[in-house]
Amino acid sequence: MKTVEKEIGSILTGTISSITQRSIFNRLGGLATTPVQQLSAGDRETIMRELENSVRLFARSNSSQLIASCARALSPGSATGAAGSLGSLPPPPSGLALAPKKMPIEQEKDIATARLEAWSEAVRIGLSKFASVKVATAVSELARNIVFYAGTGTVELRSVKDDKGIAGLQIIATDQGPGIPQAKLDEIWAGTYKSQRGMGKGLVAVKKLVDVFHLDTRPGIGTTVTCVFKGER
Amino acid sequence: MEQELPIIQIRNCLLVSIQTELHDRLALDLQASLMDRVRTVNARGVILDVSAVEVIDSYITRILNDIGKSVRFMGAECFIVGIRPAVAMTLIEMGVELDSVHTALNLDLAMERLELLQ
Repeated sequence: MKTVEKEIGSILTGTISSITQRSIFNRLGGLATTPVQQLSAGDRETIMRELENSVRLFARSNSSQLIASCARALSPGSATGAAGSLGSLPPPPSGLALAPKKMPIEQEKDIATARLEAWSEAVRIGLSKFASVKVATAVSELARNIVFYAGTGTVELRSVKDDKGIAGLQIIATDQGPGIPQAKLDEIWAGTYKSQRGMGKGLVAVKKLVDVFHLDTRPGIGTTVTCVFKGER
Repeated sequence: MEQELPIIQIRNCLLVSIQTELHDRLALDLQASLMDRVRTVNARGVILDVSAVEVIDSYITRILNDIGKSVRFMGAECFIVGIRPAVAMTLIEMGVELDSVHTALNLDLAMERLELLQ
């Protein structure tokens, strides 16, 4: 009995990298490791919705064909494979303001999840492909700082609109870690700080990538980085 | 979780395709085993294929530079191949440098340049 992960993985191989695949399956939670035959109709719908979003975002080519193959693989008892009714789900909503998304960052694997989540949010609110990679990179830096220096924290994504109504993405990274003392901050901004694990350049990199950057850090209390990517047009 | 990146040998060159999340432990293991293999097979070059890596942040850059430096200390050259356009643009904006490694568009070109280096 093949699990969802195995079945879908074999379809996506070659089109979507294994790194991204893993993040997609992480988002499916327990459903990813459920045998295909044991899925309920509701489960299948949940999986397909998630897959449709992800495949549209990340597949380099023929995403509709891939989505149809996934639907076929999941449809109940169809070894011969009729496309079934699952291929005709309504398209995912796009360009809508989304509810804020708060992700706990506790271990290294959460970095990848946060990054992927940020990437898909960026694409969904209409940022360009390049801008979305910048968003994902900034989130990666911020989440990494949390794991390396604070242990645990959260990354929150909010879609925002500027005065012209153009959608942008706000990222808020918060931790209750040791904070950054002023002397160290001076070194960081001067580019002379070298940490053990990072390059001491993570914060500088984020500041350069984003349109609005705000750092609030208090030794002994924690650090909050708030930044905004503005939409183009 | 025991995990190791496979190192493939093509002539006198070592190839690693990075298909997974590079975390601390994995990166250090890769660096160590690459140095080991460079010595045992007299490799002239090490090629790291990052075409499956969708996001490269400053931490991953540091790992790649470190591997490049250690390979260079051994007397071989390190090539990073397959950096995606969006990744390259992001690295430029961030102001991080990949200065301890060579880069090439793809595996063929890296191999070609390695032969020229001999």
